[in-house]
Amino acid sequence: MGDHEVIGLEKWLKDNTGMDIYFWNFLVLMFFTLFEIGAVFFDKIPGTDVEISLMMVWGILIVVGIIKGYGIGAYFMHLKGDPSIYFRTAMFPVLFVLLMIFGIGLSNPDGVDGLPSWCTPNWDYATRR
Amino acid sequence: MSGHGADVKNSIWMRAVLFAGGFLTFGIIAFSILGIALAGPAHEEYLSAVDEYHHAEDDYHEAIVTGHSIEGDHYDPLYIAKEDAHHHEVEAHLSYLNWKVSGNTILVMSFIFASFIGIGGIINSLQPDAEHSDDEHEHHGSASPIIFTFGIMLFMMGFPGFANTITELLTGTDAVLGEMAIGLIGLLVIIIGVGNWWREDLPFNGHGEQIATSDPFEGEHIRKAGVWVFIMSEIMIFATFFSSYLRMRTGWCTKWAFDNGLENGKPVEGCVSQSQIDLFNAGEHVTGDVVMTASDYLRPGGAAGTGDFWTMLPGGINTFALIISSYTIVIALKTAKAHDWSRPDNFITKFIPQPIMKVVFPDQKKTVRNFLFATLMLGSLFIVLKLVEWSHLVAEGFTVSTSQAGSIFYIATGAHGLHVFIGLLIMLYLVFKADTVGYDEENAQGIEYFGLYWHFVDLAWVIIFPAFYLY
Repeated sequence: MGDHEVIGLEKWLKDNTGMDIYFWNFLVLMFFTLFEIGAVFFDKIPGTDVEISLMMVWGILIVVGIIKGYGIGAYFMHLKGDPSIYFRTAMFPVLFVLLMIFGIGLSNPDGVDGLPSWCTPNWDYATRR
Repeated sequence: MSGHGADVKNSIWMRAVLFAGGFLTFGIIAFSILGIALAGPAHEEYLSAVDEYHHAEDDYHEAIVTGHSIEGDHYDPLYIAKEDAHHHEVEAHLSYLNWKVSGNTILVMSFIFASFIGIGGIINSLQPDAEHSDDEHEHHGSASPIIFTFGIMLFMMGFPGFANTITELLTGTDAVLGEMAIGLIGLLVIIIGVGNWWREDLPFNGHGEQIATSDPFEGEHIRKAGVWVFIMSEIMIFATFFSSYLRMRTGWCTKWAFDNGLENGKPVEGCVSQSQIDLFNAGEHVTGDVVMTASDYLRPGGAAGTGDFWTMLPGGINTFALIISSYTIVIALKTAKAHDWSRPDNFITKFIPQPIMKVVFPDQKKTVRNFLFATLMLGSLFIVLKLVEWSHLVAEGFTVSTSQAGSIFYIATGAHGLHVFIGLLIMLYLVFKADTVGYDEENAQGIEYFGLYWHFVDLAWVIIFPAFYLY
C-alpha cells in the first residue's frame, strides 16, 4: 500500500476506465467470492444438468483461494510494487507452512494412534479419540 | 491539514471521552431495540413454540399408548404434527437468538470500545497540555508491559467463567454475569495498560519514520518491516490451525467420505464396511456413523440437514464485509496520501446523488475518517454475525466440546475473530486520530501499516471460510 509508480496493467486500467487497480481488484475479489459460495450452494451448474461434484467443489475452492490470495497480497498488501524484501519476508514462512500441511495435514493417517509406545508412556489417549 | 501541531490539547483528548459516550449510547439503543424490543416477543414466541411441541409430543405418545398411532409411522398425522411443532420450535429459538445475541454483542462491544477510547482519553487528558509534545521522544522505562501482562494473567484466570457466561449468553439461557468478573477486570487492566502505552509512546501527531540501517531491510521503514515480520509469525500460527484441521479432517468419516466410499464400492476402515456397500448396491438406504462438521450444519446438503440459504448467509455476508473493509481502508489511505485531493469523479460516482457524495466525501480529512469508520463498522458487523452464527451452532448442539470437529472449528474461527476484534480496537485509535488531528501525506503510515494487518486478517478468512464453512 505504499507509494509506487503506476505502470502496465494498472496504468492501462486507470487511463481507460478512470478507476484504479484497487477498485478492479476489489471487484474481482467480490466476483470470485460469489463464485465460491455459488459452487457450494448449487447442486448443479445453473441452467444445466451438470452436477457439481465433490472434486469440482475442491477445485473451485482451491483455485478461487489462490486468485483471491494473489489479489489481496499483490495489490491490497502491495507486495507487487514494494521492494522485494517484503515479498521475501512474506514468503519466509512458506517452507514452514508446506511442512505443516504436507508433514502433518496430509500425512501420518494414523495420527496419535500410530505413535510408538515410547512417545505415549502411560497415556491412554493414544487409543481413544 | 492539521497533522503537524507540536502538542495535542486536552480538549482533543476529552473528545475521546465524548466518543466513548457516543459508543455507549449507540450500544444501549441497539440493545434496547434488538435485545429487548425485538428479542422479547421472539422469546415469548419461542416459549409458546416449546409448549406446543410438548403438547404435540404428549398427544403422539398418548396415541401410541392407546393404540391409535403406530410408533415409527412417519405418515401418522400426530407424528407429522409433532415434527412440525419441533421445526417451529427450532425456528422460533433461532429467531430469538438472532435478536438476543446481536443485541448483547453490540452492547458488549460498545462497552469495550467506550472503555478503550474513554480510558485512553481520560489518561491522556490528565496530563498538562505541554507534556503532550511528541517532538522529543526518548527511550524510557515503562510500566505498560507489566500492567498489560498482569491484565492478561487475570483474564486467563477468569477465562473459564468468562467463556461459560458467553456461552450462556449465546444460548439465551440465564447467564450469571458475576462469573465474568475476573475476566472483565483482566480486560480492564489490559485496557489501562494499552492506554498508558498510548500516553507514553504512541506519537499522536506522528513524526519522521525511523529507517533501517542494516540488512536485510536497509533503507526501509523499520515499523513496516516490523509489521511484515509480525504477519510472518501470524501466517505460521494460522498454518498450525489449518494443518491440524486438515490432519483431523482427512481422518474423519464425514458424510462426504461415507458417500464416496459407498459410491466407489471400496471399504474405508472405520467409516464404510463391505456389508454397507453391499446393502447400498442392493438399493437399500444406508446410513453411517459420520462425524458432523460445522459445514454439515451450515451448507445446503450438509449431513445435519439444517443448512440452507439462511444458514450460509452470515458467513457469506462476513466474507463480503471483510473484502469491502479491505477496500475501504485502501480508500482511506489513498485519500490521506493524496497530494491534491478532490472529490472523486468517475463512472460510478456519476450515479450517486450529490448530497450523498457530500456526506461521504466532505473534505480530505473527513473522507479519511469516514472510510476508516466504515471499516470499523464492517469489522464490527463481522463480529456480530459471527457470534449469531456461533449461537445457532451451539443451539443445534455443535459446541467446542462436542467433538474434535467442534474444537478445531471454534479454536480456528475464534482465533480469527479475536484478530478481527483486536484490529477493531486499533482502528478506533485511527478513527479518533483521523477525526481530530487528521492524516496527511506525512503521517499516513499508521493507516498503511494497520492496513497490512487488516488485509492479512482478510487473507486468513479467504482460507478459513471455504475450509470450515463450505467444505
